[in-house]
Amino acid sequence: MIPEFHYRVRWRAAGAHPGRHASHRTGGGYEFAGHQPFAAFPDPRNIDSHATLNDPFGQLMVKTFRQRSAIPVFVLADLSASMGYADKVQVLAEFTSAAAYSAYRSGDPFGLIVCGETIRWDVSLPLRWHKGGLPADTAANLARIRPDARSAAALEAAVPHLGRGRALVLLVSDFHLDDAFLESLFDALRPHDVVPVAVWSRAEYDALPDWGLIHLRDPETGQRRRLFMRPALKRRFRDVFQARRERLRELAVRHGAREPFLLEDRLDADALTRYFYET
Amino acid sequence: MSFGFVSPWWLLLGAGALLPWLRPGQPAVDYSSLAMMPEDRLSVAIDRGLRALTSLALAALAAGIAGPYALEQWEERLGTGAHIVLLMDRSSSMNENFSGRYLGGTAGESKNAVARRLLADFVRRRGDDLFAMVAFSAAPRYVMPLTQDREAVLAAIDSVGDRGHGITNIAPGLAMALDFFNGRPATGARIILLVSDGATRIEEESQDMIRQWFQDSQSRLYWIYLRSTNSAPLDRPPTGASDDASPEYLLHRYFQSLGVPYTAYEATNPRAVEEAIADIGRLANQPLRYLEKVPRKDLSGWCYGCALILLLPLLAAKSLEVHAW
Repeated sequence: MIPEFHYRVRWRAAGAHPGRHASHRTGGGYEFAGHQPFAAFPDPRNIDSHATLNDPFGQLMVKTFRQRSAIPVFVLADLSASMGYADKVQVLAEFTSAAAYSAYRSGDPFGLIVCGETIRWDVSLPLRWHKGGLPADTAANLARIRPDARSAAALEAAVPHLGRGRALVLLVSDFHLDDAFLESLFDALRPHDVVPVAVWSRAEYDALPDWGLIHLRDPETGQRRRLFMRPALKRRFRDVFQARRERLRELAVRHGAREPFLLEDRLDADALTRYFYET
Repeated sequence: MSFGFVSPWWLLLGAGALLPWLRPGQPAVDYSSLAMMPEDRLSVAIDRGLRALTSLALAALAAGIAGPYALEQWEERLGTGAHIVLLMDRSSSMNENFSGRYLGGTAGESKNAVARRLLADFVRRRGDDLFAMVAFSAAPRYVMPLTQDREAVLAAIDSVGDRGHGITNIAPGLAMALDFFNGRPATGARIILLVSDGATRIEEESQDMIRQWFQDSQSRLYWIYLRSTNSAPLDRPPTGASDDASPEYLLHRYFQSLGVPYTAYEATNPRAVEEAIADIGRLANQPLRYLEKVPRKDLSGWCYGCALILLLPLLAAKSLEVHAW
């Protein structure tokens, strides 16, 4: 079963396509918008007798309503080599299919843009109403992919492909990116509602061995380091990741994104729903 | 100290000592981001230490395979004693005892046995001297070059204990004994200790040569004359006209004419021999500088030992490695 979460945005959509989210558009709905002369909105069903009688010019007045609209939902995925650690790709695939399914269930169009050094169009999806969630072949491709890009530079290049209207952008990454890049990325994404989803694994800090010699290789930079693990060093790892989390939150909030959602090891759809209702 | 290698081409394997600096020897585990992690000094030190250990161990192994050795060499030693050549008579007459008897219940100890026992005592007492040994009868026999090795000298003295035979032919023996000093720096007293129980005439020609050699080498001569009761004392001139009658007397006169310090001890019984040897033992010792040959020594064992010691901590590190978590 595909997990499903409910997302909520705190802004009014601009799209004309009817959907689930509050909108600027006047149209069929239950949200009262105001009174207009009948000439402007010639819909006899909505003639308001009170307003007509109160009108000093004696015009026929109609009630207008705001419709509910669909919003574009994008998953913007980072596929740099660091995402190859542990089973982060599986978590990414799982999250993407959950997001696509949730968008389908909310009646929103869904798009997927996967970025390494360049945009990986072979596993990306254009913005469409995808019936039943993520197409099976995309899901399979995504789960099979082995991240080997040296950077996630294409994330910034993907911003123009998100369209002009405001969209909900789920930025899925492990956020092992340098701060300057993140700042300019958040700035470029400012027109959109950005939810940073940090995919981390406990194996990066909590599950490290207490004692022993480990030899680590950074797949992006090729840097190697041999470490003598001991409880003090493990504690340092934990502290570094905690500090990184704080730093990420500060960066996101300062540059107009939402607070980061931490996806640790596996997707908890209910936690994500709760997150959307809290922020 | 100078070194050499049995098969120096194996030293090229020593280039392998660079390998640990290129590859750490532990399979790397991909990790998401190392840039975040601050430098850990202890880990860096341990990493460098392990690489250095591996490097040194490989170098030691390569050196061990190449087979290093210390070249044979001459080591200068400072001795306080003299160079003493024991010139031992092995003629058949040495088998007799002092009374001229050869066998039988009253024969007692043979002259040879007495001489050997006393010489061995003498050698044992003189700790710092260098000894050489020549035995002679009709022809001289090279037994032992100049050495300080006590064991070897005692064994050499012991080795001349079998039955002697032949006549006493002193000249070639003396020549060989003098030859030991040939080409060696004169760093101390040189003594030729002649032990014999008789003598033969030395030809005029040989006499001159031997005299010349004695003077060249500045050797002293001590003659322990094991006189039997029926042979003539050294200083009594022969009564007969024949030269053959008393060769000992003639030889004594010849030795006195050598121009080098010469002392003769007439020993007519074992006690007298003992006194003669004690007399020589009292001679003043001069400090003595000489060179001794140290044979070439194989050092590859040391290399392998070093490699083993270096590899033990590496084994411990290997057992500490963690490849998955």
